[in-house]
Amino acid sequence: MAVQHALNGLNDSPTVLVEGILRSGQSVSFEGNVVILGDVNPGAQVTAGGNVVVMGVLRGTVHAGAAGNEQAVIVAFRLRPTQLRIANYIARSPDGEVFNPNQPEIARVRDGIVVIEAFPPSGERQGKK
Amino acid sequence: MSEVIVVTSGKGGVGKTTVTANIGCGLAMLGYKVVLVDADTGLRNLDVVLGMENRIVFDLTDVIEEKCRLRQALIKDRRFEELFLLPTAQTKDKSAVTPKDMQNICSQLREHFDYVIVDSPAGIEQGFQSAVAGVEKAIVVTVPEVAAVRDADRVVGLLEAKAEIRDPKLIINRLRMQMVQRGDMMTLEDMHDILGLELLGVIPDDEQVVIATNRGDPIVINENSLSGRAFKDIVRRMLGEPVPLMNLENGEGFFNRLRRIIGLG
Ligand SMILES: Nc1ncnc2c1ncn2[C@@H]1O[C@H](COP(=O)(O)OP(=O)(O)OP(=O)(O)O)[C@@H](O)[C@H]1O
Ligand SMILES: [Mg+2]
Repeated sequence: MAVQHALNGLNDSPTVLVEGILRSGQSVSFEGNVVILGDVNPGAQVTAGGNVVVMGVLRGTVHAGAAGNEQAVIVAFRLRPTQLRIANYIARSPDGEVFNPNQPEIARVRDGIVVIEAFPPSGERQGKK
Repeated sequence: MSEVIVVTSGKGGVGKTTVTANIGCGLAMLGYKVVLVDADTGLRNLDVVLGMENRIVFDLTDVIEEKCRLRQALIKDRRFEELFLLPTAQTKDKSAVTPKDMQNICSQLREHFDYVIVDSPAGIEQGFQSAVAGVEKAIVVTVPEVAAVRDADRVVGLLEAKAEIRDPKLIINRLRMQMVQRGDMMTLEDMHDILGLELLGVIPDDEQVVIATNRGDPIVINENSLSGRAFKDIVRRMLGEPVPLMNLENGEGFFNRLRRIIGLG
């Protein structure tokens, strides 16, 4: 299944769950995957050796694959980050532009840049109905 | 049952002292016994805003240093029988008051008052940490600006982590109605999205607040002002009354959105 493929490693590495809003100045750091059951606010930071999943609005800074894993991904219910990092790649929000996607998205490294796509891919979602 | 509440914000100058003075007066006007504690040692303002500066003989630091008894440092308001101020020192710094001192003072005060309201200094360092040490509830004040909301968010996290104060209430101060109408200001929805706190009230940006403050008469005493009414409504909400947010703008949609945020819609 495409979903499992996208979240490569979510099954076999340890995962920590964080419940609630991660507010400005707060941070979570873990060697495996991190799942946040809430928002990550601007000024908050999540660092994970593996993947990061945010079940709310991601407005802060997230670093996935922090030990160098370029396969790591970041998924959020709403992806509006200040900055995303995957392994050694950095993507920041476009200056001044407000872009409000109305669906979950996934960020991953492809051909040396961080790309963001709908998650799950819209084609697949239609296919299921 | 008495309530011990801190008014805090992270960012400076957003209206903590103004809110403390007005809520205090508003509660005293309804007959509650209230003491306001100035925790902004070295930069005290609460005495000035309440028009009590000239009556200070002893202060919080004198109580801590056992130069006087707590009761001797309390100043009675000239307007309201049941309103008192515990001023702090202007000539010392934040190190004069420790978290332990504040715990001690607050637990003594709560024996004698319905409401103990602590005016916190700006920042998140020593002064803030002392201000929140003896309280169990918090009101977070912000203004509709990204930086202030960011600092408020920081403070909400610290209140929970350091003082075990959960679910503080939010007051949004200095809302400029024309700017909101033009779409040039953060909306209440924007702020609610980030902070996720219950909204205790919204106070318009109002020059009457400044005039009243300079006179030493908090605006809540003034029946006719919009901001005075906003403070009265806040006091009633603190007492548990479901008071709808006043229509600060003529747009009906805006008003309905407010109702939704405050949980009345
Ligand atoms: N609603 C309002 N409309 C207009 N002016 C206001 C309003 N609220 C506060 N002010 C003004 O803003 C200034 C700062 O307010 P205040 O001293 O209450 O802030 P503060 O958060 O206590 O500041 P500090 O961090 O320095 O302690 C004062 O001059 C006050 O009169
Ligand atoms: Mg102040």
